[in-house]
This record gives sequence, structure tokens and C-alpha cells, in this order.
Amino acid sequence: MNRLADLARRNAWLPPLIVLILMGAIIGILRPSTFTADQINIKIAAAMTLILISTGETIVMTRGGIDLSVGGILSLTTAICATRGDPGLVESIFWVGFVLVLGAAVGVINGLIITLGKLQPFVVTLATWSILEGCALTVLPAEISGVPQSWVDFEHAMPLGIGVPMILLGVLIALWAWFRRTRIYNEVRAAGSNERSAYLNRVSVLGTNAWAYGLAGFFAAAAGLYFATQTGAGHPTIGTQYVLPAIAAVVIGGTSLMGGRGTLVGTVVGAFILTLIGDVVFLLKLQSYWQWVMSGVILMLVVILTSLTEARSSRGGG
Amino acid sequence: MMRRWFSSPSPIFLAYVAALLLFALVSLFSPGFANPNHVGTLVTLATFIGIAAIGQTVVIVGGGIDLSVPWVLNSAAILVTSLAHGQNWPLVWIVPLILTFGCGVGIVNGIGIAVLRVPPIIMTMSVNVITQGALIIITRGFPPPLAPKALTFVAAGKLGPVPTILFVWIILAAAIVIMERRTAFGRYLYAAGSNRTVAALSGVPVVRTTITAYAISGTTAALAGILICGYSRQAYLGMGDPYLFTSIAAVAIGGASILGGTGSYLGTIAGALVLTVLNGVLPIFRLDAGALRIIYGLVILLAVFIAAPSLRELLQRRSSR
Repeated sequence: MNRLADLARRNAWLPPLIVLILMGAIIGILRPSTFTADQINIKIAAAMTLILISTGETIVMTRGGIDLSVGGILSLTTAICATRGDPGLVESIFWVGFVLVLGAAVGVINGLIITLGKLQPFVVTLATWSILEGCALTVLPAEISGVPQSWVDFEHAMPLGIGVPMILLGVLIALWAWFRRTRIYNEVRAAGSNERSAYLNRVSVLGTNAWAYGLAGFFAAAAGLYFATQTGAGHPTIGTQYVLPAIAAVVIGGTSLMGGRGTLVGTVVGAFILTLIGDVVFLLKLQSYWQWVMSGVILMLVVILTSLTEARSSRGGG
Repeated sequence: MMRRWFSSPSPIFLAYVAALLLFALVSLFSPGFANPNHVGTLVTLATFIGIAAIGQTVVIVGGGIDLSVPWVLNSAAILVTSLAHGQNWPLVWIVPLILTFGCGVGIVNGIGIAVLRVPPIIMTMSVNVITQGALIIITRGFPPPLAPKALTFVAAGKLGPVPTILFVWIILAAAIVIMERRTAFGRYLYAAGSNRTVAALSGVPVVRTTITAYAISGTTAALAGILICGYSRQAYLGMGDPYLFTSIAAVAIGGASILGGTGSYLGTIAGALVLTVLNGVLPIFRLDAGALRIIYGLVILLAVFIAAPSLRELLQRRSSR
């Protein structure tokens, strides 16, 4: 039992992975046709917005912060995408680059405000979320399906029978494998686990915050681009539906809210768990509202378990 | 004393000044804004934010945050209409029952946070989602019948020129401010909010204090739900959602630090007034919903900048030079 707890502590993504496998087994038994390449592509496509937005949140939470403004960036990005008319190739590349840079820039501004003003990330990003959602509503007052058809086609292409979402997921994981060895990530993690001692070791508080929130903004913009091209629609208030699930996915995945410890594999697993709860509820022939209850219960259980194992380890370690 | 006020004015004082200035400014542009009827409506709307934010203030002062306000509020509203079936007399037992329900949800939050050590954001977020799901499953998503008339009288009626609900707010506000300043619980709350470990070592019952704070929050959120239901004469799904943002915003504008240990409900009242007047500004200047959100965000940023320790330190250093 102790060895099991030890294993789970060192590999925070392991418990959620077990939950995910159990859910996969339930789905597989109730609907064996789920495990075809087509179906798996569809599931990944359904989870990808949440995965992308949670990736950025993982980095911020590893830094010991929290970012609610990712919801605003998501909304604003879909709003911008849906109001581009029918752009040519060069124009398309420009706008895609523009929204990604915009997201990153907004994130860096968050980081600067938080560090220079010595303010709490929760309130600052709550405020910037409100501002960004306001901008989204100004760009696009109501939901419309105006995303350029060429972008939608590009996203729905199936080179070699593999969907774009699956390629994105692969690229994301490969990028993370590289990123977690970089100096920046290690500094972000050090600053998240103990800001003061990191500072004394010449880790820049400002720099790590700018990187963490900047990347969160970048990934939120990527999530917005993905959402817009996936659904073909701009949705100026969609962010509201993603902020809390993004935090939930990161926490279920085993990233600590206290900072200093993060895992993308866990986050991806967490995002899949939250996405597949809908399927489980549907297959068990429950009312769809049960998915809220179940996601809340899973989230709470995971966190209670982590806090219990942590309490035990800190007691054991003296 | 006066010099101290001006060299480093308290955030609460500034929030009231902001509310008054905004009100005066808007009245200049639109004469109808200051007429007694409209002021009555403004006060009523501020009351709802104010009551929903009572619990949020107590919880934030204690170093936590309550994200379960929206659906506790919404549940209370739906329970009141579906249990009362539009009749007045059952309110005698329904209202206490619903307040107990809110209190119970708060206690669950508090136990999770203080005993099981779940981070407040996660605990209250899960409870919010679970309450939402459970409520819709129980009511089967059917729109419940209309609100009882007695509730509408309390929430939307007037005694002479004054909205009835203002009296409710004044009584509650007085009770909360006295609780903050004059009771052992109030002292414990500020102590637990500023440093949990130190508080526990100095004999503050941290666990009990935290659970009580969340219980208060659940109860006031439920009360706000009952009253808002009376005002809008009905209950509907999603009616609580705006109150997550506004309750936290009111506390932040009122100068409380989200880290806990500082702030007062007096500030939150000013925050609720600022938010309500801002809301009334927009139609006058023909601004849309997007502009409202942008302005809300900027106001919160401004408020936390003013209340931030760094800025206050800077001002104090300047004035002592």
C-alpha cells in the first residue's frame, strides 16, 4: 500500500490514467464500436479545445499562479476568426499569426501586472477575463458561423487517415517533452515551488511570470483557433464554459495548485476524463445532467486523495 | 488623522467616493438617473449583489474563496418556487428550510477545505457543479411555477418611498459589521485569514472558524436566491451565474485582499454600489454589453491596484519623506 502511494506520488498522472482506463473499459463494454480509428479521431477532436487551453493553465499553475483570463482569450480568438470574411493564403497566415501573438501578448501583460503590482493572479486575471470577453462581444456581438471555409477545410483534412487533432496532440506532447527540459521550464517550476529561494538563486520572478502567463495566453489563442475551425463558428462568450473545466482538468491530472509540480500527460488525461464523462453518462442511459455531478465528484475525490497522500508523506518525512 | 486619511486613504473610503462620483457624473448627463424611483431600483439591485457578497466577504477575509455562490443561489430560488407553488403561507417553513440547505452546502465546503485540506477554489467549484447537476436532475429541468406574492412584496415592494428590501440589507449589514468587529468569531476570522499557521498556534480554532465562514456564505447565497426570485417573480436556470463575478468583484472593489486577513463588509457595500451604478451608466452612453465587461474589468484592476500593499507602501514612504 505504501509503495503504491509512493508510486502515485512520484507519477502524479498515474491515478487519473487508471480512472481514464476504467472509463474506457465501461465505454468499450457498452459500445464496442468506440475503439475504431474514426471514433478515436472524433473523441480527440472533441477533447482538443480543452487540452490546448489546459496546457497553458498547467504551465501557469506550475508557476504557482492561476489564469482565468484564458477564457477571455478563447472567446476573443473565436470572435476574430469568425469576422475575417474570405481571406487568401497570405492573409490567412497573417491572421493566424496575429491571434497567436495577441494571445501571448495579453498573457505577458497579465504576468507583468501580477508581478509589478504584486497582485493576486486570481483577481487580476478575473479582471482581464472580463475585459477580453468585453472585447470579444465588441468584435462579435452574437454567435455566428463566419469562420473562413478554407480554415475549416484545413482543420478537417485527413492526411494519411489521421485527423488534424491527433497530429496536434502528437506535436503537443513532443513539444512538451522538449519544453520540460528547457531552462525556462525549470525556472518556472523553481519559482512556483518557492519564489523566494528561486529569486535568491537568480531566477527572475518577472521573467518566469511573463513566460508562464504568456504561454498560457498563446495556448488559449491556439485553443480558440482550434475551436473556431472545428465548429466553423465564432462564439464571443464560449470562454465561460472552458475556464473552470480547464482548471479541473489540470488538477485532476495531478498538477499541484500550490505550484512547483506539473505534468502535461496528466492534464491531457484529465481533459479526456472530463470529455468522456458525457459518453459514460449517455451510455449508462442517465440524464445528461449527471455529467456535471460526476465531474464534480471525480474532481473532489482526486483532490481529497492527493491531499491525503501528501499529508501522509509530509508526516512520514518529518 | 486627517493627513493620514489623505496621504494614504483607505480603500473603503475611496470606494464610497468612487460610487458617489460616478452617481453624480451620471446624474449630470441624465437627469432621470437621480429621480427617487430610479434610485430605488438601483438600491434594490445593489442589495442583491450586496447580500450575495456577504458570504463572499466573510470567506475571503478568512483567506478562502467561494465559487459555489451561483448555484446555491439558483437552487434556493428554484426550491422556493417549486415548494411554495405560488402560495404565501408555506413560506413560514420553506424559507428556514432553504436557508438551512444553504448553510449545509456551506458546511460541506468548509469541511472539505478545513478538514480534508482541499484548495478552496477546487472544493467550492466541485460543489457548485454538483449542486447544479443535482438541482436540474431533481427538478427535471422543468421551469417551476411563479414566486409567492409575499416574497415579491419583500423584494420589490416599497414602504413609502423606500424599497422594503433596503431594510433587510441594513439589518444584515449591521449584523455582519458588528460580527466582524465585536465578536470572537470576527477576530478569529481575520487571524485565520492573515496567517493560518500562526493563528492555529495562538489558539484560534481555525477549523471551526473556516467552516463557520463557509456556512455563512452558503446561507447568505441562499437568502439572495430567495429574494432575487421574489424580485423577478420567477426562478430560472442560470439566474445565479452573474453573481459569481459580481460577488467577488464587489469584495475586491471594496478593498479586501483576496489573500485574506483584510477588508470589511463596509467596503463590499461600496463595491456593490459601484457595480450597480456602472451598470446603469451604459444605456445612457449607448454602450453595449461588451463595453460593460471591459469597464468592470478595468474598475476591478484599478481597485486592486489602489488596495495593493505595494502602492500603499509607496504612498506612505512619499508622505513620510
